[in-house]
Amino acid sequence: MHWAMFEKATMNKILCAAVVGMFCLGSSAIAAPDAYTILKDSDQARGGGLPGIVWEIRVTSRDGDRTDEPQRLVVKAVDDSSVAETQEPVRFKGSKILQVQRNMWLTRPGLSKPIPISPRQRMSGQASNGDIAATNYAGDYDAKTTGTETLDGEPCYVLDLSAKHNRATYDKIRYWVSVKRLVGVKAEFYSLSGKLLKTARFEYNNAIEHDGKRVPFVSKMTIHDALVDAETTMEFGTVKVKKIAAAEFDLGQMQ
Amino acid sequence: MRLAALALATFAATAAAADADWQTSWDGTLYGYANSTAVRNDSVLNPGNQIAGLPQGSDVAELRLNFKAENDTVRLTARPIVSTRELRNTFGTQHRDEGYFSQWQVRVSAAESWNVAAGREVMNWGAGQFRSPSSPFYFDNGRTDPLRELVGMDVLKLSWTPDRQSSATLARIVRSGYGAMQPDMWRDSWLAKLDQRGGDWAYGLVTVQVPHMPAFYGAHGQMTMSDALMLYGELGSSASAFALQSSAEPTQPFTVQVPSSRRTTALAGAAYTFEDGKSLTAEYLHDGHGYTADEESAYFQRAVALPGMALGLAPRLLGRDYLHLVWQSNMMGEVGYWRLMYTRNLTDGGNELAAYGETVLASRLSIYGLVILPVGTARQEFSALFTRSVTAGLKIALP
Repeated sequence: MHWAMFEKATMNKILCAAVVGMFCLGSSAIAAPDAYTILKDSDQARGGGLPGIVWEIRVTSRDGDRTDEPQRLVVKAVDDSSVAETQEPVRFKGSKILQVQRNMWLTRPGLSKPIPISPRQRMSGQASNGDIAATNYAGDYDAKTTGTETLDGEPCYVLDLSAKHNRATYDKIRYWVSVKRLVGVKAEFYSLSGKLLKTARFEYNNAIEHDGKRVPFVSKMTIHDALVDAETTMEFGTVKVKKIAAAEFDLGQMQ
Repeated sequence: MRLAALALATFAATAAAADADWQTSWDGTLYGYANSTAVRNDSVLNPGNQIAGLPQGSDVAELRLNFKAENDTVRLTARPIVSTRELRNTFGTQHRDEGYFSQWQVRVSAAESWNVAAGREVMNWGAGQFRSPSSPFYFDNGRTDPLRELVGMDVLKLSWTPDRQSSATLARIVRSGYGAMQPDMWRDSWLAKLDQRGGDWAYGLVTVQVPHMPAFYGAHGQMTMSDALMLYGELGSSASAFALQSSAEPTQPFTVQVPSSRRTTALAGAAYTFEDGKSLTAEYLHDGHGYTADEESAYFQRAVALPGMALGLAPRLLGRDYLHLVWQSNMMGEVGYWRLMYTRNLTDGGNELAAYGETVLASRLSIYGLVILPVGTARQEFSALFTRSVTAGLKIALP
């Protein structure tokens, strides 16, 4: 009797556990994280959501047959603020571009004062000023998941992003995020009218330590112009996650 | 200043010892340029070039260096300049050698959000290109001698930056930096400045208290309207140490008011950037310290008899209203840069055209040229002293 009751109770528990287990397994197998969570996770691999990041970027650009002189920048970035200091070419060494939200200034050694510049005055090549800063797509864009696609053999979420405000670098983005790694692997950038402007591919051969975890980090961004035969490559090296003092983004303390 | 700088240096050394992760760098640029200026023969303010003794030709070699050493707590920067120049005019040739620090600074991060700095710093701000009315120290904005670098003010500075949107600065202006005119009116003055930055706007408020002078009040602001359009403005309210009063009635003599009455100077500007990065800028300046059309006309009439007084005590701008237009290439362009400038003195109708161009010959070697062409008579501000100035030079980036 006791044995039979025990057996029945055990069977019930096993059944219950199996049902719960199957439910959990099933839900994890079929329900993708929401678009915001995907973006937030993928932003981290491009500097977003971190207390601050210092990285060195080597920019090479080709426009048709012409190849520009490579640029080397040291960038300090937190959220939507960044300061990029040119190291090479040597003739521009010490030039800085400061961006605080949508405000941008250019300073150079010997200049009578910092010059405010508009977002259209961008670096040479296809890179926008926003591309050298930390990525905050989760904060800057409304996102919706349109499905999944396989890109180079890797399943990816496909997200359509629309700028939430005019501080965003691009109006619309179609963004492919790896299902397994949760990093952005491809982006298409569109104008407000829907015209494709450029396409970017990302590689993640760097890694950072954050919150005790090892997180993959962007190592290369290759941007192709959709309208002309031009390409810009940004290679990200010596990445450090560290808190950056607000004074680093204060125009009055940039001497 | 020396004591404070020494104390700061000691603190910096202590902090540096605790945080030894130093990063150091240096770079420099070697400039060589020559200038030719056609001095006005019929000048009212400078007859026969006897008053100003302007150089009609010059050759300059100048080395500008930048040194930087920093860690997370301390930043040391220095910008020494050494130059040799030969200046020529009809009276002879002068040779001048100079060596000075145009800027230097010891900055210590004293606590979270607080920085203390001592050094020589160019305290110039605002978006105005023609003039900087919101800075009491650099109203001229380097326009008088565009190829010569501005020299900083010697300051002790305390900065509070609680976040990336706000900062406040309190500074003791110990004196003007190298080469300042004497007596030094900025010696022992105080400066307070507040800056705010928002999504697409930024502004700053400043006040400077100079001993025995009414306070200076300034403000500057900018608004990024779109990816292409920016609007900005600057404002300054001040009294100058003296003012050469020029009554509109020519029979009345010059009088000198010490100090001058408080006047307001305001600049409004707009910059539009095209898709290819070229930009067009328009600025309007109203300077309350300048003369009206009748006063400026009377100024030139009196100057015939008193050219030395007229030139030596002239206000910083003769006129009251100005228009300044700039058409320039992308400032972030890599292989060259050009800039065309047109300025009109709306008070006397005089004009000035200027063009600057720079092109890269090799990675470290660039050539550049600057042409200034005043258009007007001897009794109009821009054309009162010279009729043409041409400068050509090269620069070599180091190391």
